[in-house]
Amino acid sequence: MGYLIPEVLLAGGALLALLAVAMLPNAKNLGSWIVLLAMLAAGVDAASMWGVTAKLIMSDTMAIDKYSILVTEFVLLAGASSLLLAWNADRFGAELPPLMAISVLGMMTLGTAANLMVVFVGIELLSLPLYILAASTRTRAGGEAALKYLLLGAFSSGILLFGMALLYGATSSLTFVVYPAITAANTWLLWSGLGLVLVGIAFKLAIVPFHMWVPDVYEGSPTPVTHLMAFGTKVGAAIILLRLLAFGFYGQDGSWGTLIGYLAVLTMIVGNLLAVPQLNLKRLLGYSGIGHAGFLLVGIATHSVDGANAMMFYLLPYGLAAMAVFGVLRLIEGQGDEVTLSDLRGMAYRRPWLAAVLIVGMLSFAGIPLTGGFVGKFFLLQAALFASQPGLAVGIVVGTLVGLFAYLRPLQMLFQRTEVSAKVQHLRWSVAGAVVLGVAVVGTIGIGVYPAPLVHIVSQSANFYWLTGG
Amino acid sequence: MISVQYVVALAVLLFMIGAIGVLVRKNPLIMFMSAEMMWNAAALAFIAFARNYHDMSGQVMAFLIIGTAAAEVGIGLAIIVAVYHRRHRLDIDEVSKLKG
Repeated sequence: MGYLIPEVLLAGGALLALLAVAMLPNAKNLGSWIVLLAMLAAGVDAASMWGVTAKLIMSDTMAIDKYSILVTEFVLLAGASSLLLAWNADRFGAELPPLMAISVLGMMTLGTAANLMVVFVGIELLSLPLYILAASTRTRAGGEAALKYLLLGAFSSGILLFGMALLYGATSSLTFVVYPAITAANTWLLWSGLGLVLVGIAFKLAIVPFHMWVPDVYEGSPTPVTHLMAFGTKVGAAIILLRLLAFGFYGQDGSWGTLIGYLAVLTMIVGNLLAVPQLNLKRLLGYSGIGHAGFLLVGIATHSVDGANAMMFYLLPYGLAAMAVFGVLRLIEGQGDEVTLSDLRGMAYRRPWLAAVLIVGMLSFAGIPLTGGFVGKFFLLQAALFASQPGLAVGIVVGTLVGLFAYLRPLQMLFQRTEVSAKVQHLRWSVAGAVVLGVAVVGTIGIGVYPAPLVHIVSQSANFYWLTGG
Repeated sequence: MISVQYVVALAVLLFMIGAIGVLVRKNPLIMFMSAEMMWNAAALAFIAFARNYHDMSGQVMAFLIIGTAAAEVGIGLAIIVAVYHRRHRLDIDEVSKLKG
């Protein structure tokens, strides 16, 4: 049972950190250190399993393969960067590190899921700590964000669960990797079940028309938590959607492929369009996250190995760009929770390095060449064209063009000479923030200039159709 | 023995009542309760199918749903109480400092 050591390490770290912060309340950053070390250990252990032959464990409920290992690494990166963004910030409360660890554990669980039961447990494990974390600043906006997140989360989980119940009724099995082998399924139950499950996951992934909660929740939550939602939750929801559809409903792509394709185009365009007029940067990033969820859906909609590769690839540049932008936001906001566009004024002259990081992150979001975001969008475009779905390709291009306006507007503020905003003047660097920004910038430009190693890794991991072949 | 269709029909009814409750009611407490009703409808459907197929996994799922729902209620009520403390009224339309 050595396959679950990363999960056990992280769970152990979370419990240890919980004990430590309760018994030694005065030790600064103790919980954060414990969780960070547990995450590093889990990451190293997961990486050492890379050569594993794909197999189902725990009575066919969890799949250990390169896909699950890569997902583990992605979400650990998300968790560690969120933890570093919350470093030294006592106002978020001592429970923040263990809660983040539990949430990341949920995302890791989703990566291994081969059974609807594990999907449900993973999604709840990832959501429940986030409800608490959203409220951890005890501000009016924080409580509101937590309440909205909670109600929408419970509602969407209910839909998801009922869909799972119908799928179970149709197939008499919860292990979705065996679904392609079941031919005698009750079609009516099967399709209504799949529809409800898709709606439930669409809520979690923030697909238009199920996206309304995102900007409010992003705005009200503390910035490190918003980063975890933007990076980690997106990874978790996207990879489980891909695994569920590409594993469980492999043969019936004619029915869901088109639907996902329409949703992808709608989400790309609407998400980026709504990001344009935003003045609050966290809201802007919320809408941008919706747009990026649309790009991720393109990879699923093409229903090909190319598409799965492109989606897996896109997750990392997106996450790294989110690290860069949220890291800068965290440094600018200081003791506050809000950064508006006008807070960025004059940053290019006063804080040129920080402005450069923000520019790299935003350009990667927008998909400008030499950044990781460009390579990601390029692969998605390629996958859409290979699958001969020109509509998706047009959607990607239009979405990117609209997004350009949204991302260039904040950058324009950086170069306003007239006055320097107070938040930029009083900005303080922190070591933890610098680490996150460093990794983000090196990663974003590294992937943009030399994507070959990541392409190789992703192509090994997304090639998981082995189960349908028997 | 009641046939599975009736139980599932009841589950669908409960699910619809819960979903409509979340969408129409304004009180977060009632909305939360309605969402829990959707969960329980799913648990009922799971148990009905599990009995129909003589398969244990549906019943295990029902237990998982109950356990998770309990955890969610613990967190949810704490958040609702915290919001109530701040404004002493519970109406989702008034919880609108953040405009969507």
